[in-house]
Amino acid sequence: MYETAITLERVTKRYAGHTAVRSLDLTIPRGGIFGLLGPNGAGKSTTIRMIMNMLVADEGRITLFGGEPASRDLSARIGYLPEERGLYKKMQVLEQLIFLGETKGLPRRRARELSGQWLARLGLSDWAARRVEDLSKGMQQKVQFIGALLHEPELVVLDEPFSGLDPVNSQVMKDVVVEMARQGRTVLFSTHIMEQAEKMCDRVAIIARGEKLVDGRLADVKRADGDRHVALAFHRNREAAARVLGDRSLVARTDDYGASAEVTLAPQASGDALLEALLGAGVGISRFELVEPSLQSIFIAKVGADAATAPALEESRA
Amino acid sequence: MHKVWAVIRREFVERVRTRTFLLSTLLFPALMIGLTVLPVLLDRRAKAPKRVVVLDGATGEAGTRVADGLAAAKRTGSNGGARYSVTRLVAGTDLEARRDSLVRHVGVGSEGEGLDGVLVITDDAITTGKIPYYGANVGSPQDMRRLETEVQTALRLERLRRAGIDPFVAMPALRPIDLQAQKVSGGATTGESGDASFILAYAMSFLLYMALLLYGNQVMTSVVEEKSSRISEVLMGSMRPFQLLLGKVIGVGAVGLVQLAVWAGTAMALTRFRTQLAGLFGVAPDSLRTMPIPEVSPGLLAVFLLFFVLGFLFYASLYAAVGSTCSTVQETQQASVPVTMTIAVGLILMFSLFGEPNSSLARLLSLLPPFAPFMTPVRHALVKLSPMELGLSALALAAGVVAVAWVAGQIYRTGILMHGRRASLREVWRWLRAG
Repeated sequence: MYETAITLERVTKRYAGHTAVRSLDLTIPRGGIFGLLGPNGAGKSTTIRMIMNMLVADEGRITLFGGEPASRDLSARIGYLPEERGLYKKMQVLEQLIFLGETKGLPRRRARELSGQWLARLGLSDWAARRVEDLSKGMQQKVQFIGALLHEPELVVLDEPFSGLDPVNSQVMKDVVVEMARQGRTVLFSTHIMEQAEKMCDRVAIIARGEKLVDGRLADVKRADGDRHVALAFHRNREAAARVLGDRSLVARTDDYGASAEVTLAPQASGDALLEALLGAGVGISRFELVEPSLQSIFIAKVGADAATAPALEESRA
Repeated sequence: MHKVWAVIRREFVERVRTRTFLLSTLLFPALMIGLTVLPVLLDRRAKAPKRVVVLDGATGEAGTRVADGLAAAKRTGSNGGARYSVTRLVAGTDLEARRDSLVRHVGVGSEGEGLDGVLVITDDAITTGKIPYYGANVGSPQDMRRLETEVQTALRLERLRRAGIDPFVAMPALRPIDLQAQKVSGGATTGESGDASFILAYAMSFLLYMALLLYGNQVMTSVVEEKSSRISEVLMGSMRPFQLLLGKVIGVGAVGLVQLAVWAGTAMALTRFRTQLAGLFGVAPDSLRTMPIPEVSPGLLAVFLLFFVLGFLFYASLYAAVGSTCSTVQETQQASVPVTMTIAVGLILMFSLFGEPNSSLARLLSLLPPFAPFMTPVRHALVKLSPMELGLSALALAAGVVAVAWVAGQIYRTGILMHGRRASLREVWRWLRAG
């Protein structure tokens, strides 16, 4: 049995005007959930398409399943949900799933059997004979999700799987993903929604502008940045608190949520100094705690607030 | 192969299920039956014989003969009555005055009243063969030809008599001949009539042309639709572009074959069951005009089918490649012009070269994949080609199919992921080299 599901070595992909992915190294071990995080246009979809061998890297090497060069011959072992969802609109849901299963090498009968089970599990049994175009967007997304998993792949690659889903459906799909990881399969998914990644991922990599910024176990990533973060809540004199938090010698960054805030300490400052300053200014403090940073704050600190909101120029072209 | 088969099945089943397919498949046979039966039925409806006056200004029996000939003419159809109701009037001294007074009655009043036409027979007319006819309805070429034939037969007899020749001796001598062409190749008769195989080859070229325009285009549209519905990326994650392309071309091609087979089957059934069909509508079997079924040897048919299938694969792959460079169906209309033009050129070359099927140009074209599907079957029907030449042509075409399918797959694999605009030629070239 192999140890690493996916390895990228110094992979570079250029498009006519720019470099989408720059000398990217990535190791994704077998089993567990790996989150590929990054703002829009970071090169996530390009990376995933290269892993799927849909795009060919200009430089570097990509291997799967412990050393096999990425190729379409491996497609039967991989389940893929592209960022751009698409189904045959005029086809019946069940027929569609059977067809998708067949393209992954499943015998027709087996594909029919599994499709029925999955439709029942995701509550779509009543829709099996309906045309895809009659389904709501969320339901279509679930159908396509089933299509990617039908052949019980050992590696599942999901590009923004939760975007556009309501909380209930999002929960259902999350449960499926977690269960797959528990069965020993490898899940790679990309997202720019940090809360989701924080709850699900064993490992994460953050990329921006085609380059890797952070990579590792989620716990390690958080610890590397630990003891520099303070969770705060105030009940009095918030204006004074804002003045103290604006002091750049104490505080590097603030995520202000109104009644509470998450603060990143400035390099030379300590938690004690900040607490003193706040008390001295007469702020009424109801919470002061040194915490592990949220993925969101790490992400924003690493990527920079400007990049997080940059337009999705690259991905629409990729 | 399992995947290709899945694509073929999907294309076929989803297409055959549509209402459009059902309609277009059944409409054509209905139209064919209609076109066969309707003229006869319409003809039968005009029950009243045409009232024709033969104005006889000729000496001797000429006028009588024409009048008798017309009176004996039967209407087509199982229970056809007399076609004309004929009155012979002797012109007397003032033929023109008589004629004018008769013409005044032509086309007057409702049906059954007045006259339908006046035929003027004079000695002069018998000599020159120019017979004046003043008719209410002279627009139908078919009606006029019938009248002409009747008058001609009567006047031939009269002319022979005037020349002092016994018509019963002369008429058999004047019987028209029918050339019975037999195709000979390599010193042995093939048992096919030259006509039949040629007509079939010719029909096959046309059929290929039609099939390409209809179904080749469908392949292209289907590729574009897959792109715009974004399912192409899911499929690309599961199979090679070549597999998808192959399945699509074969799937759509199979739909086309079914449709063509239904149509051709109807045409054949119409001929074979002519009697029953005629009985159904109560008309005489002979009055139904149907297509002749050419007698062709299985060997020749096999050659035709081979080139038909290869030709379809060749051009359908090209269409698929064009489709993958476009984002909308409208764009394909323009982008596919070069392919459509090449097909048209192939057909035109086939027409212009069947006078000289063994010319060096014709031989060369048979070896060029884009033109071989049109040239080779027709040439083979005209002058049986040597197995060597036939084989070379088929081989060149097959190699062409593989090459085009590869190139198309290459274009497809990149083009299918591109959205929003049409690829430029330079980009397409880059995609090809990247493969």
